[in-house]
Amino acid sequence: MKPTTVTARGASSIRKGHSVREGLQLWKVLLTAVMLGMGVLLLLPFVWMISTSFKTPLEVFDFPVQWIPEQFIWRHHQNVWTGPMNFVSFYVNSLQVSIISTVGAVAFAALAAYGFSRVKFRGREPMFLIYLSMMMVPPQILFVPKFVLFEWLGIYNTHWALILPGMFTIFGVFLLRQFFITVPQEISEAAFIDGAGHLKIFWHVILPLAKAPLATLTILDFSWHWNDYENALIFLVDKSLYTVPLGLQNFVLENSVDYNGMMAAATAAMIPMIVVFLLGQRFIIEGIASGAVKG
Amino acid sequence: MKRLRTGIHDHHPIGYLFVLPSMLGITMFYLVPALMSFVMMFTDYSFMNRGQLNFTGLENLERLMNDPSFHNAVGKTLVFLLTVPASIILAFPIAYMLNQSVYLKKLLRTLYFLPYIMNGVAIAFVWMLLFHPSMGPINGVLRLIGIDNPPGWMAETSTAIYAIAIIQVWIMIGYNMIIYLAGLQDVPKELLEASKIDGAKLWHTIRYVTIPLVSPTTFLLLITGFISAIKTFGIIQATTGGGPGESTSVLSIYIYKTAFRYYEMGYASAISWMLFAIVMLIMLLNWIGQRRWVHY
Repeated sequence: MKPTTVTARGASSIRKGHSVREGLQLWKVLLTAVMLGMGVLLLLPFVWMISTSFKTPLEVFDFPVQWIPEQFIWRHHQNVWTGPMNFVSFYVNSLQVSIISTVGAVAFAALAAYGFSRVKFRGREPMFLIYLSMMMVPPQILFVPKFVLFEWLGIYNTHWALILPGMFTIFGVFLLRQFFITVPQEISEAAFIDGAGHLKIFWHVILPLAKAPLATLTILDFSWHWNDYENALIFLVDKSLYTVPLGLQNFVLENSVDYNGMMAAATAAMIPMIVVFLLGQRFIIEGIASGAVKG
Repeated sequence: MKRLRTGIHDHHPIGYLFVLPSMLGITMFYLVPALMSFVMMFTDYSFMNRGQLNFTGLENLERLMNDPSFHNAVGKTLVFLLTVPASIILAFPIAYMLNQSVYLKKLLRTLYFLPYIMNGVAIAFVWMLLFHPSMGPINGVLRLIGIDNPPGWMAETSTAIYAIAIIQVWIMIGYNMIIYLAGLQDVPKELLEASKIDGAKLWHTIRYVTIPLVSPTTFLLLITGFISAIKTFGIIQATTGGGPGESTSVLSIYIYKTAFRYYEMGYASAISWMLFAIVMLIMLLNWIGQRRWVHY
């Protein structure tokens, strides 16, 4: 690398006409290399996790770290998926909870966002303010009363304890409303004159326009449900109901010295989010950049 | 003809139907629980004496004042909040450089953002092994560079909170970077070029043009960062569970333990409202302080 750098610099200073542009290109390459190096450094914990999941117990803490194991051992991954504490049921539970919650959350949020932005009715603004103000309440305040409430409703220690509250997202209403406001009123007026009511306008006019923000909300909401540990920890008791984060925790508690197994299980817990992220990256980053707050 | 009489700008009762499900849900799972919690704060409600609810007035609040575990939790929470400015300071140069001309911009953005969307519990277990006091690779590197007695990280009461803070910073860098990237795109190019033409050094342009111009973004990151940091629970519960001793027992952990280990629901409610009060106080201080350094 170094000699090339020197000659490139020398050459560019000789051919003065191109010096600025070439200098910039070189600068760009160097900056990219530095940024790439830092990025890889940041992701080393993940590399370590995957590499450890394929090693033998004796190799776990080899130092200097052997990033690529000499022999790939699949036993730990097999154990995670087919062993006594298998991840299949955690996956099924997590998918069930996350999918139902997300579908409900997106549907209810879209309805409410439409109501709060494009229908006039008495008391709309104060209702929206009350609605938004609930975003300020930290979840820690709600855990104890929700526990009492869920016992009383008979949904404690069932998936409904995660799904029912999960179907309401204040952030989602806020996000979609922000978008609905930007759709010109004339579109609704035209549809209205053509005889469409609000339900029709919502379904046939506004929703098709809102595909991108709907995708953003779907992906973000799904990822929050998939990663939710706190609610599952508090409201689920039976192991058969465990979602992935709880299952992972339990796996670690029961195999506390099986570091390879731990890392294989951690990998298993992360795979779906990697897939979701790679598929919906654009929407996630847009959603985050538009002021998303986790949770 | 009938329809035309009520225009789209008139009041439509159907609006109530649109917001009804969400209003019901929010009432049921936010508003009512919040009110219940507020009442519980003044009671000795516990799962040990099920069904009994005695109003104890301000007893819980008095107990807070003299509870060393609560004081400890507030202190640890404040230490943990330092992760917010730390991750913002680290994220800015990354966002700045990404916003310059680099190749592979999208790939780089993805790399830095990855930790943020990963499962917190899984992340916690990976770092637990990386921080292993005697055999972990982090201490391996420290020994390599000549530190013979590296810290015990999560196994040591004096360092455990910092070990977890490092994980939190690592998670938050990507999030802060994405928000900064959005903020940097709003910085007018003309201003940067004007400063270049005036012969300002790069560092001066960053210091006196770019940083003041993204100060609203920095402010937003501080506010949202503090709110989310104070609620952090997963990575702490999964790694140390508040220990060793009470060394990582931040407020969220202390509330969880008080409520679901010791079943002191009334007292836990009182602590959770203290957490709310701290959030409000931080917001207030930020709003007051913003005039000095946020330029809109």
